[in-house]
Amino acid sequence: MTKSRSTGGTLIKDPWDVVAGAVLLGFSLLLLFYLVPNYIGEPPILQNPMMSPRWLPTIVGWLLLVFSLLMMIQGVLVADDGEDSGRRFERGPWLRFALMALALVVYVGLFEMLGAIISGILATLILFIAHPVRVWWVYGLAIAFPVGVSLLFTEVMNVPLPMMPL
Amino acid sequence: MENFTEVLQLFLATENFLAIAIGVVIGVTVGSIPGLTATMAVALALPFTFSMEPVAAILLLVGIYKGGMYGGSITAILIRTPGSPASACTLLDGYPMAQQGEAKKALKMALYSSVIADFISNIALIFFAAYLAKIALNFGAPEFFWLICFSLTIIISLASGSMIKGLIAALLGILLSLVGLDSVFGSQRLTFGNYNLMDSISFIPLLIGLFAIPEIIEFYRKKVVPHLTAKASGAGVSWAELKHSLKSIIRGSLIGVAIGAIPGTGATAAAFISYSDAKRRSPHPERFGKGEVEGVAASEAGNNGVAGATLIPLLSLGIPGDVITAIILGAFMVHGLTPGPLMFQENLTLIYALFLGIMLSSVILLFVGNAAIRYFSLIADIPKAILFPIVLMFCVYGAYAVNNDTFDVWLMLAFGLLGYVFNRTGIPAAPFLIGFILGPMFEDNLRRSLLIGSNDLSIFMRGPITWFFIALTVGSILLALYRFMTSRHKAKRRADDPGKGA
Repeated sequence: MTKSRSTGGTLIKDPWDVVAGAVLLGFSLLLLFYLVPNYIGEPPILQNPMMSPRWLPTIVGWLLLVFSLLMMIQGVLVADDGEDSGRRFERGPWLRFALMALALVVYVGLFEMLGAIISGILATLILFIAHPVRVWWVYGLAIAFPVGVSLLFTEVMNVPLPMMPL
Repeated sequence: MENFTEVLQLFLATENFLAIAIGVVIGVTVGSIPGLTATMAVALALPFTFSMEPVAAILLLVGIYKGGMYGGSITAILIRTPGSPASACTLLDGYPMAQQGEAKKALKMALYSSVIADFISNIALIFFAAYLAKIALNFGAPEFFWLICFSLTIIISLASGSMIKGLIAALLGILLSLVGLDSVFGSQRLTFGNYNLMDSISFIPLLIGLFAIPEIIEFYRKKVVPHLTAKASGAGVSWAELKHSLKSIIRGSLIGVAIGAIPGTGATAAAFISYSDAKRRSPHPERFGKGEVEGVAASEAGNNGVAGATLIPLLSLGIPGDVITAIILGAFMVHGLTPGPLMFQENLTLIYALFLGIMLSSVILLFVGNAAIRYFSLIADIPKAILFPIVLMFCVYGAYAVNNDTFDVWLMLAFGLLGYVFNRTGIPAAPFLIGFILGPMFEDNLRRSLLIGSNDLSIFMRGPITWFFIALTVGSILLALYRFMTSRHKAKRRADDPGKGA
């Protein structure tokens, strides 16, 4: 990761927290003033407002607003102590990440059209290329695994999948 | 007697034995591969249970859970990479032992203490779950309402990292659980007219997305790290060594049981408390951290003592104590079962068949664990570049299989991205999942209480049980605040005196 460790002298101690807090603040405002009034239906007569379908989402919205503000303040005042190592890592080549994204697109875009086996073979091949597998026979697994896993789902576990192209 | 025969009939199905064995094998294997987690394996196994009988389905997941708990210690000892956070304590003494050529001894001790602790934890589960369920039969909607409040607050207050982030995660989980048709009025909530969302957000795509996809994304984003490997060398553990550590194992198991029975506390805390207790009582505390076999025994006992005990609140109250029990709760729901006190009345045979299976899983763990020690290098040598495409395949097929709809695959990807953002911003995923599960229960019990009490709010303080849970809820909030203040104070002290904090 490229982010430099913040020290006591910087204005914002943890920019990630500030950004995440700002996004959540925006989301909570959107929820409270647009989504809840427009996308949650309310019955015309209510004996108790706490019974309303809008009551809990509204409470959650206000709490989110308060905690997102606190998160931003935390980001300004408190440095990330580095305990959660998941936040820092050295990035690999962008092409690898792009190929992984392409494999995901193949799965979601072509799964029903090409069927589980063919889309599985395509996506697995892309992923093998993304993180180069240098042993040639391993590429055979890109065919064997989608066939095997599809058959495991459909024949052994009786879970239906689209097997062949439409 | 009739019930006993029914329990045996239900339990003695070949499918159950296969499910436990396969579950433990998968758990140990996945646990011993750095980068793969037992949570991920349990989430991916859930779609496979659709066509299984409920007992076999739950036993498969429990097997993976227990196997994964032990499997994590193998990598902690051999390559100093804990397979799960709970195994972090095991490496304190396990890795120095491996460096001193005593890897096999450490692994065997970890296995034996895991199996003993698991067995004690299972006994506690059998005794306490039924007892607690009997008490919970007196609970009405207001009591359950406060119990859920307590569970939510304790899970958040004990979540690792920032309390604010834990709260945000839980709130987002509750919010997403409300998507769909309102259960009382039938009005749509945040469905945006999409019929796929009317029956609420599917649990399995959420689960797979949150716990498997972020690992895959990170693998393809990170720079390649050198592949570490090691073999279990040296002598095994002697009877005298096991006997010497037995007291620590039993104490650690009981610590694990006590901690596991409280929702949210988890195996990591149990492992460290058990380890410190063993160190405090040892005549040679100076050996701890330098390769003391009793240290490995104590931490593994604490870690595995939690496994059976986390099922106590799940089975008796319907409250998941951690992420894996939340997934197991999902498996119950997939099979039309609702864990809780009523299950002990309506499905007692199923409960006892499960108990028998859970006991058997400890024995199977002993055999599978021994094999894993021998073949660890083969397991750990599988390159992740081959493993992760297969994991992704399971993710996609599993998500699609829920409703035979690509919408669920999209949903899984969306939650995968959310999980990735959570990882990057340090927001914990566990409170999100617990919030997602407890959100509808919270609202349902709130509304039922209001209906029972004819909108009179005093129903929420109607008796000693509600008062008890109110006190626990307030106590857990105060505990959270105390932890928050202490951690800030420590951070400030570290910042003021950087030399000491390192």
